[in-house]
Amino acid sequence: MNIITGVQPLIQKNYQKMLMPAVIAVSIFAILPLLGMFALSLTDYHLVKDWKGEFGLHNFIRMASDIKFMASISIMLMLSIFGVMLQVTLGTLIAVGLEKIIPKWRFMRGIFVIPFVVPAIAVALIWLSLFTPTLSPINAFFDIFGVTVPEFLTTQYGAIAAIVIADTWASYPFVMLLILAALQGISGDLDEAASIDGATKVQIFFKITLPLLAPALLMVALFRFIETLKHFPLIFVMTNGGPGRSTQATNYYAYVQTFQSSNVSYGAAIAVFLFAFAAIISFYIARANARISDA
Amino acid sequence: MPKRDFSAKKIIGVSMMLFFFAFALLPIVWSLILAFRPTTHLFEPVWESPTAFTLDNFNTLVGSEFPVALFNSLITAGTSTLLALIIGIPAGFALAKGRSQRKFIASWALLLLRMAPPVGFVIPLFLIYLNIGLLDTWIGLIAAYMVLTLPLVVWSSWTSMAQIPDELIEAALIDGATLLQTLVKVVIPAARPGIIATAVLAFLIAWNDFFFALIITRSDTVTAPVAIMNFVSYASVNWGSIALASIALTLPTVPVIIFANKYIVQSMGGAVKG
Repeated sequence: MNIITGVQPLIQKNYQKMLMPAVIAVSIFAILPLLGMFALSLTDYHLVKDWKGEFGLHNFIRMASDIKFMASISIMLMLSIFGVMLQVTLGTLIAVGLEKIIPKWRFMRGIFVIPFVVPAIAVALIWLSLFTPTLSPINAFFDIFGVTVPEFLTTQYGAIAAIVIADTWASYPFVMLLILAALQGISGDLDEAASIDGATKVQIFFKITLPLLAPALLMVALFRFIETLKHFPLIFVMTNGGPGRSTQATNYYAYVQTFQSSNVSYGAAIAVFLFAFAAIISFYIARANARISDA
Repeated sequence: MPKRDFSAKKIIGVSMMLFFFAFALLPIVWSLILAFRPTTHLFEPVWESPTAFTLDNFNTLVGSEFPVALFNSLITAGTSTLLALIIGIPAGFALAKGRSQRKFIASWALLLLRMAPPVGFVIPLFLIYLNIGLLDTWIGLIAAYMVLTLPLVVWSSWTSMAQIPDELIEAALIDGATLLQTLVKVVIPAARPGIIATAVLAFLIAWNDFFFALIITRSDTVTAPVAIMNFVSYASVNWGSIALASIALTLPTVPVIIFANKYIVQSMGGAVKG
């Protein structure tokens, strides 16, 4: 560092220059639409009806008394919370299993990753076919034993479960990959010391591995939580928000209001609500990250 | 492990892994079966006619607009990835190695942009595009995909270039290289795994997009994920073509991910290292 102290100011200036194209591009491509979203949320813009020139918080007031909106929040949280719990559990179990139970079966690792790259629309369609009773091999299989698999997509909680299962299939590899990376950072010495002291493998997992994974698990869970709030293709394809409105999560409700009911401003207001949600969680992640890199 | 272990716990552990493996693999195998199964056998159990086989769906797919849609996907996802790399890598470099008081704000902003609801971007974009005639154009879609790719590229090239030792950069600067030359000739090659992972992830995120394309394309520039939905109608669902199209959409990404997943973990891990 010392040798080039003399040229530091010049170099810092060049660093600033390198930042500029991205700052400009982000402003145009991302910030501008976001400002548009905020502005629209304060108006009463409608795709078909005339604009009466109202300007204010009326969309947000309307949200507070909109039963469908309130219901959409609890649907969103159900999809997120059950989804994240299942994905994190499954992803962690598979990662730990790959490391500790079957470390020699390396080919499995690659196959376990595949769902990660299947495009969301394909995930939705494949699982729609698996949840279609006349078509599904799962139903056909249980029919042999005279067991009728309940129809998932026609009941409220069944439909939610179906989306959670499909999302879990597509998303556990994300958890798995990151937990595998975190596991590599944990020294094997601790395990060994514990097993010499007579701890069983299960005890080692719960008392040593899991606590050490906790920070990584929290981060992964937060990332997945944010992603599950944005569910779209799964709902669009598998349930279209139904049966009734029972899988109409908030993000989907914003889409329905904007592009099906033409209430552009109201849709934008709902997007602002979701944006605020993301702002809080991303702030928390950024702060936690800053602490880690400072340490 | 020195001796073979056939304890009950081991067997439970292995069966659990096999069960998860079946869960992971079944939908993939199922879509392969669907793709090559004749329509007449579609609704009977696979094991009753395991040899029924057809290439009809292939012909349906080739005769539809799906190949054009794949091309549209390639152009829009590819271009937006390329642009994001050109604009984003220098910014990632500046954030990784420059001195700035605003790094926390930058990291929060980048995360927020990645997490913000797409519907919030799409509503204003849709209205703007409607008025200036960018709906259903490549340019419009590429611009929209920049929202997805650029924050990702800046963020993940930042984390991967932060690991490059300062000495390497200083040595190049002392040799008289400009900062840009140092970036291109020294830093990017040194951070290659991270940069490759960044490019792959950025491409995937745009390639896999359904929502943006659903709203801002109509017919000319429809992308593959949206074009698949043409095989779904109220009257009937063409399961075979859907399955084959899904496979076609997934296939290009599979070798990449198997080859690059180590690098991808490293670059994603930058956000979650604990």
